[in-house]
Amino acid sequence: MESASPFASGPPRQRPAMVSNPTSVVQTPLIGRSMAPSSSVPLPSPFGSALPGFSRPAATPLASRPPPPGAIPQGPIAGNGPRIPGFTAPRTLPPPSVQPAPPSAASSSIRPPTPYASATQDSGLQSYPGSPPSGASVATLPMPFVGPPASQQFGRPPTSQPLFSGPPRSQPPFAGAQYLQRPMAGSTNSQLPLAGPPTSQSPFLGPPTSQPPFTGPPTSQPPRPNTPQPPFAGLPTPQQFGGPSTQTLTGPPISQFVGPPTSQPYAGRSSSPSQMATPSSQPFSMPPTVGTSFGSPVWPSQPGQMVPSLPGNVQAPPRMFGMPPGMPGQPIPPVLPAMGHSALAGPQVSTQSKIDPNQIPRPLPNSSITIFETRQGNQANVPPVCIQSIFVVKDNGNCSPRLMRCTLNQIPCTGDLLSTSSMPFALMVQPLALPHPSDDPIPVVDFGESGPVRCSRCKSYINAFMRFIDHGRTFVCNLCGFTNETPRDYLCNLGPDGRRRDADERLELCKGTVEFVATREYMVRDPMPAVFFFLIDVSLNAIQTGATAAACSAISQSLADLPDGPRTMVGIATFDCSIHFYNLRRASQQPLMLIVPDIHDVYTPLHTDVVVPLTECRQSVEQLLESIPSLFENNKVSDSAFGAAIKAGFLALKPTGGKLLVFQSVLPSVGIGSLSSREAEGRTNASAGDKEAHKLLQPADKTLKTMAIEFAEYQVCVDIFITAQTFVDIASISVVPGTTGGQVYYYYPFSALSDPGKLYNDLRWNLSRPQGFEAVMRVRCSQGLQVQEYAGSFCKRIPTDIDLPAIDCEKTIMVTFKHDDKFQENSECAFQCALLYTTVYGERRIRVINLSLPCTSMLTNLFRTADLDTQFACILKQAASSIPVNSLSQVREQITNLCINILHAYRKFCATVSSSGQLILPEALKLLPLYTLALVKSIGLRNDGRFDDRSYWASHVMSLSISLAVPLVYPRMISIHDLTAKENDGSLSSSNIPLSSEHINDDGIYLLENGEDCLIYVGNMVNPDTLQKLFGVTSVDGLPTQLVLQQFDNDLSEKLSDVMNEIRQQRCSYLRLRLCKKGDPSGMHFMSYMIEDKTAGGLSYVEFLVHVHRQIQTKMA
Amino acid sequence: MAEDLAGGAVVSTDPDGPDGVRMTWNAWPRSKVESSKCVVPVAASIAPIRSSPSLVVLPYHPLRCKPPCAAVLNPFARVDYGAKIWICPFCFSRNHFPPHYAGISEHNYPAELYPQCTTIEYAPPPLDAAAPPPPPVFLFVIDTCLIEEELGYVKSAMRRAIGLLPDHALVGLITFGTQVHLHELGFADITKIYVFRGTKEITKEQILDQLGLSSAGVRHGGVAGAPGYPRGPQANALHPSTSVNRFLLPASDCDYTLNALLDELQLDRWPVETSSRALRCTGVALTVAAGLLGACVAGTGARIIALVGGPCTVGPGMIVSKDLSEPVRSHKDLDKDAAPHFHKAVKFYDNLAKQLVNQGHVLDLFASALDQVGVAEMKVAVERTGGLVVLAESFGHPVFKDSFKRIFEDGEQSLGLSFKSGKKWEVTFVFLPLGSGTLEINCSKDIKIQGIIGPCTSLDKKGALCADTIVGQGNTISWKMCGLDRTTCLTVFFDISPSERSGQQGIPNPQLYIQFLTNYQNPEGQMRLRVATIMRKWVDGSNTEELVEGFDQETAAVVLARYVSLKMEMEEEFDATRWLDRSLIRLCSRFGDYRKDDSASFTLHPNFSILPQFMFNLRRSQFVQVFNNSPDETAYFRMLLNRESITNSVVMIQPSLLSYSFNSPPTPALLDVSSIALDRILLLDAYFSIVIFHGTTIAQWRNLGYQNQPEHQAFAQLLQAPQDDAQMIIKERFPVPRLVICDQHGSQARFLLAKLNPSATYNSAHEVVPGSDIIFTDDVSLQVFCEHLQRLAVQS
Repeated sequence: MESASPFASGPPRQRPAMVSNPTSVVQTPLIGRSMAPSSSVPLPSPFGSALPGFSRPAATPLASRPPPPGAIPQGPIAGNGPRIPGFTAPRTLPPPSVQPAPPSAASSSIRPPTPYASATQDSGLQSYPGSPPSGASVATLPMPFVGPPASQQFGRPPTSQPLFSGPPRSQPPFAGAQYLQRPMAGSTNSQLPLAGPPTSQSPFLGPPTSQPPFTGPPTSQPPRPNTPQPPFAGLPTPQQFGGPSTQTLTGPPISQFVGPPTSQPYAGRSSSPSQMATPSSQPFSMPPTVGTSFGSPVWPSQPGQMVPSLPGNVQAPPRMFGMPPGMPGQPIPPVLPAMGHSALAGPQVSTQSKIDPNQIPRPLPNSSITIFETRQGNQANVPPVCIQSIFVVKDNGNCSPRLMRCTLNQIPCTGDLLSTSSMPFALMVQPLALPHPSDDPIPVVDFGESGPVRCSRCKSYINAFMRFIDHGRTFVCNLCGFTNETPRDYLCNLGPDGRRRDADERLELCKGTVEFVATREYMVRDPMPAVFFFLIDVSLNAIQTGATAAACSAISQSLADLPDGPRTMVGIATFDCSIHFYNLRRASQQPLMLIVPDIHDVYTPLHTDVVVPLTECRQSVEQLLESIPSLFENNKVSDSAFGAAIKAGFLALKPTGGKLLVFQSVLPSVGIGSLSSREAEGRTNASAGDKEAHKLLQPADKTLKTMAIEFAEYQVCVDIFITAQTFVDIASISVVPGTTGGQVYYYYPFSALSDPGKLYNDLRWNLSRPQGFEAVMRVRCSQGLQVQEYAGSFCKRIPTDIDLPAIDCEKTIMVTFKHDDKFQENSECAFQCALLYTTVYGERRIRVINLSLPCTSMLTNLFRTADLDTQFACILKQAASSIPVNSLSQVREQITNLCINILHAYRKFCATVSSSGQLILPEALKLLPLYTLALVKSIGLRNDGRFDDRSYWASHVMSLSISLAVPLVYPRMISIHDLTAKENDGSLSSSNIPLSSEHINDDGIYLLENGEDCLIYVGNMVNPDTLQKLFGVTSVDGLPTQLVLQQFDNDLSEKLSDVMNEIRQQRCSYLRLRLCKKGDPSGMHFMSYMIEDKTAGGLSYVEFLVHVHRQIQTKMA
Repeated sequence: MAEDLAGGAVVSTDPDGPDGVRMTWNAWPRSKVESSKCVVPVAASIAPIRSSPSLVVLPYHPLRCKPPCAAVLNPFARVDYGAKIWICPFCFSRNHFPPHYAGISEHNYPAELYPQCTTIEYAPPPLDAAAPPPPPVFLFVIDTCLIEEELGYVKSAMRRAIGLLPDHALVGLITFGTQVHLHELGFADITKIYVFRGTKEITKEQILDQLGLSSAGVRHGGVAGAPGYPRGPQANALHPSTSVNRFLLPASDCDYTLNALLDELQLDRWPVETSSRALRCTGVALTVAAGLLGACVAGTGARIIALVGGPCTVGPGMIVSKDLSEPVRSHKDLDKDAAPHFHKAVKFYDNLAKQLVNQGHVLDLFASALDQVGVAEMKVAVERTGGLVVLAESFGHPVFKDSFKRIFEDGEQSLGLSFKSGKKWEVTFVFLPLGSGTLEINCSKDIKIQGIIGPCTSLDKKGALCADTIVGQGNTISWKMCGLDRTTCLTVFFDISPSERSGQQGIPNPQLYIQFLTNYQNPEGQMRLRVATIMRKWVDGSNTEELVEGFDQETAAVVLARYVSLKMEMEEEFDATRWLDRSLIRLCSRFGDYRKDDSASFTLHPNFSILPQFMFNLRRSQFVQVFNNSPDETAYFRMLLNRESITNSVVMIQPSLLSYSFNSPPTPALLDVSSIALDRILLLDAYFSIVIFHGTTIAQWRNLGYQNQPEHQAFAQLLQAPQDDAQMIIKERFPVPRLVICDQHGSQARFLLAKLNPSATYNSAHEVVPGSDIIFTDDVSLQVFCEHLQRLAVQS
């Protein structure tokens, strides 16, 4: 069935094709893409050549597909996406099984094929979707394909591969998916076998955590008292990390965990090799595999626990850090972890006097693709550890983890258990998340006139977990337990297994995510058209900084990406200290400017023609956009009536609802909702000082909030693009998008040279990404739980529902729960998210996302199935929401304490370790300390940040998806001066460098990105030749401060383009490029991202671990 | 001096005399009691700047008496040539002539002392000769809540007007419907419109602030000189900064833009529900216009020319709600105080009037609609500013079209022609904005001023001359006239209140003097001072004969009409007919010649003889019988009554009727139904309408086309004669009267019949002459009226 079903899921993913501005082009010709499979051009990467047939064809059709995808002809359409004929193409892709092992892959190395064009390495030319040389052409060939960011990573062969001589079996059936990474440092063959834990063999292994081997609580393992704890030298008692469970491991535990996490082989960390003192220790860092490394930084995690081990000895049981409780000096044999394997570790460990920074847990790369079945064996499957890894979802009852996932994959039976664990309990819902192209499509089910079957008591929608009984005559609601009568026309007999006989034909009864066609009952009016209203600041500042021109040009270019058809409407207004509307439908060529001067009580100047159908008035719109910058070029008005302008825009949209896109450059200074320069006042009023500082992160008053609530009521969503040079009080402004389902984009300080590219791409993605309008969402859960709170960008008028004037594929809503009853062990707890929305094509749909998770009364289970990324996203959002309320130091303390409490709970109840000298990290949460540290040092929580930066950060975080949460605080860094020196496959994941200044060399050039910004750091001793190749200058001094990356005709530059494009695709963001030079303030800025360093405001990573450990010890005592 | 005393009757060619002053009584009773016995108030109708061929203009400053009198030297001053001293006839102060009058002697004296120069004009050299006079300013305010056809008429009228504007005149444009659109004509790159909402009352300061015209100029400051704003030609200190360039442009610069705007001007696009009136925010539109002018050209002559096509239904100044089920207020509603919006609207326009007067600007109202548009409420603003008003039923109707054209046509001509014409009666409409004028009045002792009825505003400048009782714009000795033209006529009411001191004076001065000082700016922009000094005589109250001799019955009829109109507006429950009847009876009792209780013996002096007839017609006129008209029409009629000359006003009260027939030259006919005959053509001039009425026979002949046959040339001429005469009248009149051509027994004949004395009604049908007509009415005829009057007058 699945194969039959089209890629329904596909449609939604339109890719943001990031078209770079002409000026800032990273030249990435489309050629790569369009190349025929047979392309004679030798592809640099073996990969490409290896799988030409495979990857290319797929890519091409996709590429050619128009951005707004059409629907898939057959089958239900999933998502709001249009059907795209072109789309079918993907379907034709050979199923994974086809997997070609490219014969041609002469090379022994195996590379995962990159079925989707996204892949990167093709002929170097890879284009980021948007980056084709000419904007125009791009439009038609956006790379739609590039799937969701996650998908992009496909293709990335693990760097280690080459080493691996390609045993055929290694090939995943699924293209590339299988790649387990096996880093083998020159390991001996014998080790290999070990490397693969049994589980690992299955191609689609779940995330490591799921692996049975580890599941076992550490307890089973005898601690090894004897093992010296090397890592921290002289730890008296090494601590064990409970994480890895190991039952299965009993055998050769060693192999399993082991490895020095550092697994040198991997990421080419240069340092690592040296570390591997003893081969034995390293054996495999095997990843049990997490499926995929997302391009992301290497997630070392796989190997199980990491032991940060110490150099050399390391073997410490994975995950245990022996922390010197205080006295590093004491040589005390580390206590081995309970796990069996610990024993192995032990032997080698020698006492070490300190923690080796290279051994402590860090994300490890993972570039293989896994197939994730949402349920296995009638049980919820634990989703891939890392949401950023590449995986393909097979929906067989539970929803895709992209759409909704929980911080805990097993639900605590009682509230007490939950509070004991200290872990956050929340659901992250990203209801329109981009699927991977190969994901099971979301089926559309039409119940006709009667509408979907629902529980008559709790109104939940029919789903796979509703139990039909009494020959199918009644069914029991899995959420409230009510027994409903089956509607007559929905009757069906039950089979011998107690399921309805038609369960497999009825998609709503076998899929976790379904879209129902909404009936009249779900509409208060006809589905609204897609309306886009652009509001452009034309005040003095905006004009002079080029922000107006950039906005106009971005809008003009983006018009092509708006949904086609007569239902798409646009409107334009500009504002300074008054609001200028334009009548776009006029006989004469000149548009008519209508000025609304009353900015204290605004109104629309026209009843019609302010918002016009795009198809009819495209020319006049374009012409107007072209003339706006010159119309106002002599504008001397420096005031900005932002509040009045959005109110006016709202009034224009009021009859229909729609999106209001505002381009704002200065602090709103007049009219409704005007703001004062609070930052300056705060600064001069230093005595109020830090204690009151957080007040500046609160909205100045309620005016904008009140307005925003009204906007939401009329389905108007506001997105704000801030192109500022000074303080604009984002804390106040962001309330509007935050309440209406919109978002803030921030370009500070705006540069007319380097920012228009991002502005355009952001706008384009904003307009063309999958999205829905006039949405209402509600999450229901089984009895025993209740929704405590929703968090994100929305408006809430009644307690149970949230109103989303607009919702798009990136918006994530956090839902927290609390227990109001107990669950039975072994029962399942169900969650159902229902999103009623209108697609851009005017169809009213109900997307129902179901997740049913087992309940447990075992704390160990909670830790074992904890989902770090989701938990971290949750912590991040909670931190963001508390910075306006509490002082920074309090927030930092809260976060650190949370980390400590969780680890303490684990240490106390799950890890059976006799000595308190070890820091034991649960496998699933081993990166928690690192992320916590990163969060504490993030822009939002740093003391030295500007208020606007912090406010922006907070507002950005509130609707941030899980996959972008970690990179935001723990960016990815790679070196680019040696790009060509690395293997040709050039996968990003292989080259991540830890965020520590130790790894920054003066002769290097580094790229650091967090999904928003991209910093390129240039050391002061860089080879002029490299400079010439990359930037076209010969000396560091010659580098421009405002960087526009150009592609030059050389390998290195091309490679950089590829890398940039890959990152952009992956993040669905164009990234703001900034050049940082050593010795410059910009260099300092770059260095502030070196999270593992000790800074004035914070501990180094190692120190932090020590701190955490000490706190736990104190608590234990 | 004889001339002065002669009044209208004697000098038939110029009933107003050289001074343009006509009085109800040319001999004044000396005491308050006597004057009250005279019944008809002591009042003067003055035309402050009437053109006069004999006017002398002196190029120097006038000599003034010492303060507080400050009267200007005039022929009535006694001059001691030897001592070089003149004695002011008003305060009897002695003033020395200044040195430059040193050469004065009995044979060589300045023009202002010439006896025939009782009215004289001073044109002192301007202070700053270099400064060009400010250009006239026209701000058009156009209603767009119309039907397509009407808008078409408006556009063509506007195009014609724009073509006629003098090149240097500044022009601005506001259109309005549900909202107000202020067009920024000076913005070259794009059509730019400021939009104001119609529902919200907005202050002048807000307007200025929102337009960036406030003194701070913060909001749009500096726009000046930007390429988008071509620099206008005027480098004129009067115009603050650049604001003028943005919204008001010389006609020569913006006529292309204006025409383009007119081409594109659309009907108001806001939806109108069925069962609703269009939302029309006339009030806000006028506020915006006033605010703009106040900011840009305060103090110089500017006119707001409003073309309104319906009632204001929203915002300030609203006269009726948008709900169609609510009818526009009628006189009945007003009487019963059942017009919910009326007082609010009047108050609003009253404030607007104050603002405009303050700025010296004029509001002209061209209302064209089948229903009312709110002239009654707007009257105050129009009248106080001296604006023009035209009420028509459509913008396509000649009453509007021709009147509208007339302003600009004549305006332009007058630029070159203003004083050229030697013709005495040429009607020169100088509508080009004149600088607003002020009028001051000086009078002899014992005379107080009650106030003025007419297009002016009290400046509230109190003085010893102010009477305790107020009529119209009173409580001042100085008035402002924003829109002043050569036909403007004001009625000044006097009060006689001899102080005790004056009574004690041994030899009472037999003469009384009144001096009218009018400061104004002539069409060339030059400041002028017109001084008219008149002398009348006191008579002893008991001397009826002298009083009778000095009575001007035309003036008296008009003054009574104006006075009674005012009272009807001001006093609740005022019974005008009864008041008029009583006044007339008292007057006849006092001045008639009769034996007590013998009505047959009653006769009246010729100076009074027509007054009863005037009164009879006044009682039946639209001024008193308001219930036949809408409040708008009444307001319109009264405004014109108050500003027209006595001669014209008499026609309004008692229309003139000319009869054309084969047998005689055109002759005045009795305003009586008996004047109708089968073979006559009647030409009725009722001022607001002109009716050509063909007797049945004439109509039949005409329908048979005899006039086209060469042998019936005479008939053709007969048909043509009244047409020609009607055109003559129409040409001289503003607003253009409605021309009605009708036949006996036709439906339009009612326009004639309504004005005729119903001497033959269906009650008196037996007396009807064949071929004549009857009027279906219960009204009494003039004859019955006079009979009753005689009876009542002689009653003891």
